[in-house]
Amino acid sequence: MPTALIGTVFESHLRLGFFKKLNGNFLIICSVLHTSRPLHTTQQCLAPLPPLPEKGGEVRYGLIPEEFFQFLYPKTGVTGPYMLGTGLVLYLLSKEIYVINHETVAAACILSVIIYGVKKYGSDVAAFADKLNEEKVAKALAVKNEAIKDLETAIEREKKEQWRVEGRNYLFDAKRNNIAMLLETNYRERLLTVYNEVKKRLDYQVAMQNLKRQKEQDHMIHWVEKNVVQSITPQQQKESIAKCILDLKALSKSAQAAV
Amino acid sequence: LILLSMLFPALLFPTPNNRWITNRLSTIQLWSLHSITKQLMTPLNKKGHKWALILTSLTTLLLTINLLGLLPYTFTPTTQLSMNMALAFPLWLATLLTGLRNQPSISLGHLLPEGTPTPLIPALIMIETTSLLIRPLALGVRLTANLTAGHLLIQLISTAITALLPIMPTVSILTTSILFLLTILEVAVAMIQAYVFVLLLSLYLQENI
Repeated sequence: MPTALIGTVFESHLRLGFFKKLNGNFLIICSVLHTSRPLHTTQQCLAPLPPLPEKGGEVRYGLIPEEFFQFLYPKTGVTGPYMLGTGLVLYLLSKEIYVINHETVAAACILSVIIYGVKKYGSDVAAFADKLNEEKVAKALAVKNEAIKDLETAIEREKKEQWRVEGRNYLFDAKRNNIAMLLETNYRERLLTVYNEVKKRLDYQVAMQNLKRQKEQDHMIHWVEKNVVQSITPQQQKESIAKCILDLKALSKSAQAAV
Repeated sequence: LILLSMLFPALLFPTPNNRWITNRLSTIQLWSLHSITKQLMTPLNKKGHKWALILTSLTTLLLTINLLGLLPYTFTPTTQLSMNMALAFPLWLATLLTGLRNQPSISLGHLLPEGTPTPLIPALIMIETTSLLIRPLALGVRLTANLTAGHLLIQLISTAITALLPIMPTVSILTTSILFLLTILEVAVAMIQAYVFVLLLSLYLQENI
């Protein structure tokens, strides 16, 4: 459908015979293309689009593309387009094809305001647009980098896990040793308890026997003493006492003699 | 010439063409569209988001018409009362009817501000009803009047300058400076009017959605 529209535009253009300039043709085609865009119902082409050119076409005075100057250069040199412009303007003014009325003043005003605005804020707006695009690209790049980083950390963790699996044997050996030691300690403790218990019982028996013998001994001594004391008759008692006195006297004598 | 001028505005708004990163013009337009939509839609609840397309496109339409009307030898449609009323009246009526249809008591309740003393109620309801009914008229006439006044001033002052130029150049230079200031004002007014129109519509929507 766009091609059909362009075809009709071409025909009307040829019939009208206006606008020998290149820009008019281009403008018409462009605008037709753009106005017919809402009529498209499907996506245009599914292939990847070619990248946008880095810089726009070179224009002089913001309006006339550089190609026009290049186009006229071989025939008329550098001043060619300017002469053409001046001549055209003077022609329009002198023949009153373009009448100077109040709108001219208004046009001058609004054009100056527009040009002032564009000159002053143009680069800022361009930088802003570039910043927006940069942010978009940066966000996507950040996502990509995040994903890469996450995957790398995952890889490292995986490697660490593998290393851990290798070291698992040592872990098991150590655990096994620990458990064996625990068992051993437990066994030894219980052995000690058993030994202590047995010793306690044996000590008890020994103590019992000692006690018994002691008691027997005491009893025997007591009985012997009792019998001996009983067997000492009164007469024997007297005799012994008289002997003791004689001994004492002899001793005293010997003592006195010694002193 | 007519063909050229009819097709020119289409160049201003290149439609997005499935590129992820577009050229500067498309990026800026996309960004401004997004910010306009966001600002209009944040006060509204989910149901109000149905209005997003029409309000945003209305904003863009008014902005373009107003700004393009400042160029010489152009006609601004929004200076005509017929067009502005045609825009304002149906949209306002739509907000009113959605309110009355979905939540009739609440939207009728908007007629009475809270905390009014009881004796004042009848009078206040009359006043609120009149203010409600006058809204579409106000919307349309506001836009028309502002733009017409601006354009008229520009035309008149530029005529004065043209007439004074051969007689008293100094006066004409002074008047030119006035015209400069006026033009800056007009640019601002053009943008603001579009904004205000849509803002008020969204406000009426908030009450009634």
